[in-house]
Amino acid sequence: MATLLQPEKVLYLVRGEKKIRVPLSQLYFCRYCSELRSLECVSHEVDSHFCPSCLENMPSAEAKLKKNRCANCFDCPCCMHTLSTRATNIPAPLPDDPTKTTMKKAYYLACGFCRWTSRDVGMADKSVASGGWQEPENPHTQRINKLIEYYQQLAQREKLERDRKKLARRRPFMPQAFSQHTIHVVEKYGLGTRLQRQRSGAPISALYGLSLKEGEDQKEITIESAQALDEVEPLPEDYYTRPVNLPEVTTLRQRLLQPDFQPAGASQLHPRHKHLLMKRSLRCRKCEHNLSKPEFNPTSIKFKIQLVAVSYIPEVRIMSIPNLRHLKESQVLLTLTNPVENITHVSLYTCEEGDPDDINSTAKVLVPSKELVLAGKDAAAEYDELAEPQGFQDDPDVVAFRKSNKIGFFIKVIPQREEGDVTVAFKLRHDFRNLAAPIRPTEEGEATSEAIWLTHHVELSLGPLAT
Amino acid sequence: MPLFEGLGSGGEKTAVVIDLGAAYTKCGFAGETGPRFIIPSEIKHAGSPEAVRVVQYNINTEELYSILKEFVHLLYFRHLLVNPRDRRVVIVESVLCPSHFRETLSRVFFKHFEVPSVLFAPNHLMSVMTLGIQSALVMDCGYTETLVLPESFESIPILSAWEALPMGGKAIHKELHSLLSEQCTLDTDSGPGLSLPTVISAIPEDVVEDIKVRTCFVSDLQRGMKIQEAKFNLDGSAERPAPPPDVEYPLDGRKILHIKGSIRDSVAEMLFEQDNEEKSIATLLLDTLVKCPIDTRKVLSENLVIIGGTSMLPGFLHRLLSEIRSLVEKPKYRDALATKSFRIHSPPAKPNCTAWLGGAIFGALQDILGSRSVSRDYYNQTGRIPDWCCLSTPLPDSVYEAGKTPPPLMKRAFSTEK
Repeated sequence: MATLLQPEKVLYLVRGEKKIRVPLSQLYFCRYCSELRSLECVSHEVDSHFCPSCLENMPSAEAKLKKNRCANCFDCPCCMHTLSTRATNIPAPLPDDPTKTTMKKAYYLACGFCRWTSRDVGMADKSVASGGWQEPENPHTQRINKLIEYYQQLAQREKLERDRKKLARRRPFMPQAFSQHTIHVVEKYGLGTRLQRQRSGAPISALYGLSLKEGEDQKEITIESAQALDEVEPLPEDYYTRPVNLPEVTTLRQRLLQPDFQPAGASQLHPRHKHLLMKRSLRCRKCEHNLSKPEFNPTSIKFKIQLVAVSYIPEVRIMSIPNLRHLKESQVLLTLTNPVENITHVSLYTCEEGDPDDINSTAKVLVPSKELVLAGKDAAAEYDELAEPQGFQDDPDVVAFRKSNKIGFFIKVIPQREEGDVTVAFKLRHDFRNLAAPIRPTEEGEATSEAIWLTHHVELSLGPLAT
Repeated sequence: MPLFEGLGSGGEKTAVVIDLGAAYTKCGFAGETGPRFIIPSEIKHAGSPEAVRVVQYNINTEELYSILKEFVHLLYFRHLLVNPRDRRVVIVESVLCPSHFRETLSRVFFKHFEVPSVLFAPNHLMSVMTLGIQSALVMDCGYTETLVLPESFESIPILSAWEALPMGGKAIHKELHSLLSEQCTLDTDSGPGLSLPTVISAIPEDVVEDIKVRTCFVSDLQRGMKIQEAKFNLDGSAERPAPPPDVEYPLDGRKILHIKGSIRDSVAEMLFEQDNEEKSIATLLLDTLVKCPIDTRKVLSENLVIIGGTSMLPGFLHRLLSEIRSLVEKPKYRDALATKSFRIHSPPAKPNCTAWLGGAIFGALQDILGSRSVSRDYYNQTGRIPDWCCLSTPLPDSVYEAGKTPPPLMKRAFSTEK
């Protein structure tokens, strides 16, 4: 029976860029556009960062500085588990009296899963519990920074050249004396437009003497080009005869966790700070309103804004399926739940012939023609044992039972194919009161807003035919 | 200065640099010294045990679009943790990447993630940027293939002189897998010394890759020649040099695979064996030199740059240099090439991240990154990405006003309007 409650049995159609069929529990509903949205047709944004082990929130500026890594937590380089700090007592000489020794606390990192410790790679024990561990620095950092500066200088020159060309073209339209560019040129060289006219055809080497700004601290940055080597170190002689100690050689995955060093030996694997996770907020692409915004606090699972489809659209679920036989009419029991607090009217329609959405159905379906009325969701109803009769007149052929905001109703299914799964589709039309729409100030007395009718395409997969 | 990188200086955020390789993807931010993450280019779905490769050129557009969308989503929201809408993107790619793949990738970035601009940078050119030199002969030994492309005279690629061979990590894995299946035995609970195909049908590729990385190496020239002779020798007179020791490799925790020592050094020989067309990785370099104009040859041969993950095998570089030096004496090249000196560079990054580093250096140049990228407006207007091999693309107005102005000083090679 529980298999009937699986969400993939009932799919709602989302009309986005592509038509997607998704269970209602995975959909969002944009109140402003009054449409269903799936994860594919919303834009995702990073909301906040937090560390998965210490659950500490990190503001995004700090996260950017720390390269999205937690300051306190470390990952084991061997098995990627979180490292824990352990303390031992070591004897250390007292500062005042070298002959006496006292027990001092020393901290080291250890992995609870693979038993790796920071002593294996030769990291000395630290005297503070946190903050003492440093990651090794990339030896090429300086060279790379110099290269970036050099290229930035070239880039600035190119930009200057390009801007000058743009301004030079507009020469007839702008008075010369007021061009910011010529003022610069005139001040530097004492020449006027003549220089510019000559310059546009002049060889590029003329720019080399030009310094970029008026300030004196801008000097030309040159770098030595890299030197190529004549010889490369060969493999050591004993490489061919030395047996391989597999635990000492790092696996590719362990190496790639540290892209700067990629050590081949396990004795050089240093732990790295733990990478952060992020919380995501979703935004409708059309109206740019937020559909989902989580709480700032990492330990809280609630949402500030949560426009999920299950809290606005009535949900169809399959309750029981009889034996389905080819070309024989059978009754399937479905339930319809009303998520909102006011009364909802639902009507069902069969899909017409040639409906472009109706591609998967393999059976004919007859839905109740009368409108179904659903009572509003009453939060206190579960505590109220004496449920009062709700006073709805239900046709017993259509409505099987009614319980607070839920009804069970029958549909008739006639499978058209001899083999395969039976899939049916129909349209669900319900009224939706948009409480998000602003209340006009002139009509204060009106508490209810306009109801709009929404239609959704629903597909049910009823399983295989009974043999 | 690195402290204030993203916070001051005009307020533009650092660009995202992605090197989408066939086996591994390197992703990170511009201006940094190394990628943040090197992850396998594949997606794991909850249902199936097999991962789906991201870089596939033969599948239809819809499927490729959804795979790329999922992968880029993971890159942004699990590894980089930034909003796609705020930052420009630099994609380091191979020159031989099919246009269909590029178009789909750019559609994913522009339509779904709405990035402000995308720049496609060739990986050979980017590796030259990490050295501060103007000309180099770049060889990329990757997963699917090895591609050689020379760059000269302020880094213009000599496109007519490219050479490629499908010898890369994938070929090594295949060869290694077949050697293991034929020659190695397995110890399991049921008994020792079972042959491999009886126990498991195929070793998964990541296990084969791990075996390659941890146990295999490239022998030096003399030893390698002897191994090749012994392999191809028909009358059995050539002696194979003593193999290195066997390795016991644990599989799944219940089986132990005995890897024969002879496999360890012979599997990498296939990179240097000359096939029926007498091509091997080393001849690629020499053939390229022959195709280049004579005045550039000396400069290029003294500035070799080797990038790519496969070149990180122990002993690879030494062997490659020795092979080139011995091949240049052969009659085929001796008369054609006057230059006999070969020098190799060591870039400030590991060979598998060098191209990424070049992209990061370029991405840090905010002044011109904007003008050379394809912006979202341009893409929405034309609906296409300009390609170096396509002449029908209209020029974007922002860069060149008139055809009369000479192209700018730097990197005239791969600007988007070709």
